[in-house]
Amino acid sequence: MQTTPISPYVVETEGLTKRFGARTVVRGVDLQVPRGSAFGYLGPNGAGKTTLIRMLLGLTPASAGRMKLLGLSVPQQRAAALARVGAIVEEPRFHGHLTGRENLRVVAAARGPEAAGRIDGALEQVGLTARSDDRVKTYSLGMRQRLGIARCLLADPELLILDEPMNGLDPAGIQEFRAFVRSFVADGRTIVLSSHLLDEIEKTCDHVAIVDGGTIVAQGSIDELRGDGHVVFVEVDDTHRARGVLAAHAAVERVIDDGEVLVVPVLDVLAVPDLNRRLVEAGIGVRRLELQQASLEQRFLEITTRLENAA
Amino acid sequence: MTAFALPAPRLVAADVLKLRRNRSLALVTGVLTVGAVAITVAVMELLHLANATKHGPAGGVQNLGHVAFLIAMLGTAAAAIVGSRAGAGDKDAGVYRDLVVTGRSRVSLYLSRIPAGIAFLLPFVAGAYVLEAVSAVVLAGSKPVPDMRLLVLTGLWTVLEVTFFYLLSVAVAALLGSRSYAIGVVLAFRLAITPIVASISALGIVRELMPGVAMQSLVPPGLGDAARQGPAIAMSTAAVAAVLLVWAVAAVALAGWRDVTRDA
Repeated sequence: MQTTPISPYVVETEGLTKRFGARTVVRGVDLQVPRGSAFGYLGPNGAGKTTLIRMLLGLTPASAGRMKLLGLSVPQQRAAALARVGAIVEEPRFHGHLTGRENLRVVAAARGPEAAGRIDGALEQVGLTARSDDRVKTYSLGMRQRLGIARCLLADPELLILDEPMNGLDPAGIQEFRAFVRSFVADGRTIVLSSHLLDEIEKTCDHVAIVDGGTIVAQGSIDELRGDGHVVFVEVDDTHRARGVLAAHAAVERVIDDGEVLVVPVLDVLAVPDLNRRLVEAGIGVRRLELQQASLEQRFLEITTRLENAA
Repeated sequence: MTAFALPAPRLVAADVLKLRRNRSLALVTGVLTVGAVAITVAVMELLHLANATKHGPAGGVQNLGHVAFLIAMLGTAAAAIVGSRAGAGDKDAGVYRDLVVTGRSRVSLYLSRIPAGIAFLLPFVAGAYVLEAVSAVVLAGSKPVPDMRLLVLTGLWTVLEVTFFYLLSVAVAALLGSRSYAIGVVLAFRLAITPIVASISALGIVRELMPGVAMQSLVPPGLGDAARQGPAIAMSTAAVAAVLLVWAVAAVALAGWRDVTRDA
């Protein structure tokens, strides 16, 4: 029996690159997913998220670079690594003419003999026992998502890799999914979620990598990425003049005009009363001045805007 | 090839399950094999009963040959449909990648489809042939009754023809990654291209490279021309075996290589 080498990371990539002809979709990605984390792989559509997952799972070869899953090099030790990995790539698909249980039997047959013994438990865990003997073509999208999770659980996975798992889930389904992620991670296992939904990643994950244009532009814990930055939301009667006053202050990084509200990242929270005083002294009527800790979304926009400016 | 690459019995059973639970596939396969023979024999016997001077009985050696040819041709159509389903069904359903991410070798996933489809298809073909064999004996009337040797040889020829084209269909489907294209290619090859090539005498020995021509030379001589399609082209048994083996191995190997190397 092959033992899995202990590594602090369940996914490690180094210079991972994928090219389709002249087009580079994944560009030198160095990714490290800590063991026991809920890890968000966050980026806009077309950023190369699914392609990276496909390379990790051996669905498509890498053009360059190295990767490890659960401490094992892939594709060299792919079979051993994937034996303890569950994954949903893009949307979960099934044989519609088979029942949910039969679809799981098909995948269990491809895994080890012990996987068949996990079918009942997996169906129960995702709440599909009552519908397990119905044909999958009668299932809703949400039920298929849950059956996809059940299929992953047949591996008794140390690592789950889910591509856009929130697609098709209603609000109750999203709540259930978050609870599932929390309990999965609480068992010391790891889950990697790829998504373009900032808010969902922030609510579900504790670590994140932000990817744009096939490259990781930031990665770390959610708290690290948010940083200790703060944002002031300002509503005034003259936004044009207010922008000039605020931008002139040394504690202001920049001023973002979000229509009716000015969003102002600040370097020092102690400068906020001074901002208010300067606006008032300039004869500008202040309707709202609200200090908040910067969200991941603001940080994401800040990073990507910086990249756009650099380009 | 590692043991992990060999198709495990449970993997073959899972592939049989996919085919067996497909009602429309079972219905079409049944109609093209057992159904076609039942209808043909029934019509021939009814015509005989209605006008015995004009229509002979449904049994006998000659009708055994005619219906065996029918089973071979319609069985080939069924083989194309079942083979393409087995070869490209997972890709069409979008579940192939989910099987690949289990870590199971792609060679193993590919090879398991071959025995699975045969296990699904052959009972239909065998059932159709048993029905015909019984009819050929029981309904022979005044016609010559086929002996046991002829019945067995004809049955083996029918099963070999259908099995070979099933194998070809699995390979073509895996190669193209598409069920519909595979069905079209296999049927065109067997039902249109083969008879045309066989009839062009200027091609000489090249005609013998066609598997359909090689199959025709295996038709039991006792059937006469009743199960023959196109001109009689004599081939030695060794040449027939070589042609069929090369086609089968080349098709399965090429498709296996493509299946393993393409993006899942």
